[in-house]
Amino acid sequence: MNLRYIPFFGCMISAKYPQFEAAVRKTLPRLGIELVDVEGFSCCPDPIYFKSSDKLTWLTLAARNLCLAEEAGLDLVTMCSGCTATLSETRHLLTGDPKLKARVNRRLQRIGRTFRGTIRVRHIVTVIRDDLGIDKVAQSVTRPLEGMRVAIHYGCHLLKPSRVMSVDDPDRPTILEDLVAAIGAEPVSHQERVLCCGKACMDEEMPAQMTYDVLASVEKLNVDCMGLICPTCFDEYDLGQLKLARKFGKRFDIPIIYYFQLLALAQGFNPEDMGLHWHKIKAPKLIEKLGAVAG
Amino acid sequence: MAKIDFNFRKKLNAMIGGELHSYCFQCGACVGDCPAARYSPRFNPRRIMLQAILGQADPLLAEDSVIWECTNCYNCYERCPQDVRPVEVIMALKNMTHKARTNPQQVNDMVKAVQETGRTVVLTSVVDRRRGEMGLEKMGDVPMDEIRKLMQTRFH
Ligand code: SF4
Ligand code: SF4
Repeated sequence: MNLRYIPFFGCMISAKYPQFEAAVRKTLPRLGIELVDVEGFSCCPDPIYFKSSDKLTWLTLAARNLCLAEEAGLDLVTMCSGCTATLSETRHLLTGDPKLKARVNRRLQRIGRTFRGTIRVRHIVTVIRDDLGIDKVAQSVTRPLEGMRVAIHYGCHLLKPSRVMSVDDPDRPTILEDLVAAIGAEPVSHQERVLCCGKACMDEEMPAQMTYDVLASVEKLNVDCMGLICPTCFDEYDLGQLKLARKFGKRFDIPIIYYFQLLALAQGFNPEDMGLHWHKIKAPKLIEKLGAVAG
Repeated sequence: MAKIDFNFRKKLNAMIGGELHSYCFQCGACVGDCPAARYSPRFNPRRIMLQAILGQADPLLAEDSVIWECTNCYNCYERCPQDVRPVEVIMALKNMTHKARTNPQQVNDMVKAVQETGRTVVLTSVVDRRRGEMGLEKMGDVPMDEIRKLMQTRFH
């Protein structure tokens, strides 16, 4: 199979967490996956605030991004759960509803583009599982993360709505566990593993409580870090720990790591090259365990 | 009880592409795994659907509407046996608040950011430097003429 895809990194990863983009760009070639960049993407646009303003405009801007990929003729691969939600839902709605598609295409005519529905939107983990095979991940490992316990957090938009996302069973997902096991670490399931990070909730108190409960359920398990796949969840749990310390006087000190950073460590890259030193919660013990040179 | 606003109900049904009152039978399956309901005593997706069915536009579209507590987690979408998709009904209500100008400022800020830059994060020299340190190129330009044309609700 020809493993070539157009990457869609989105605003948050590209600008706020470029270390995640770097980790993806460094690890995928070692799996034999080629990324073919396309110019001119805008924000996906974001499936929370922007979608809250006007769904038709949201669909239209998302469809424009899809048009750019269609013109290049390859499937889109997404790394951010929010971008995945927007682009997958847009494709799903427009291909399933000719009237809606016609409405969106009337707007797209203003810029001379047409959404056709000829390419798919895939989250990177499904590409790895379904097109490549998770065993290939294991084969790329040169420094297995043996003895490392990783609490898994899924986040919502990777899995739900399951009819649209088609990634995994939303109640009993295993894909991240399988990916973590493939790099030699031990995936650890925590009590609140499918609880929402709370970021989209516009209340002063609720998101902090939700973040607190997830971290408290992870804390009990004596893990080396929490591994996740969504930059929004990352925000809530990494920077969020500083906020919780101020708000509740509670320091969890649980390093939060994006899956592709973990993969990169297992492929022999240095923690510093993966930007771990930029995280609010540092991971000295984890780095020591790794036997790698700390940054 | 607040007055029934039939016009509101008609508009909402048009937005969600169906007749809410004919298929939500108030079973409450959407409530059990709702994190917003778990953390907020005043939040209940079943009740929000009922208010929508009853056409109670005022509380739902008010500035302090409970709809903004929804975390967008999609659990209700998974659980509802009637395919009501409460989260999408809530999204449609949010769109209505945007028209009514009662939505939170964060929504306007995000729309403005996309209108001005095509993105939701501001690109600064720090971004370029960090990307550089990671061996990444600067972020490419967004063709703003295209974005602006698409964002106009009336186009000539
Ligand atoms: S929205 Fe669905 S799950 Fe919730 S009360 Fe109505 S029918 Fe039941
Ligand atoms: S998406 Fe549904 S289940 Fe999730 S918080 Fe909103 S109403 Fe509750």
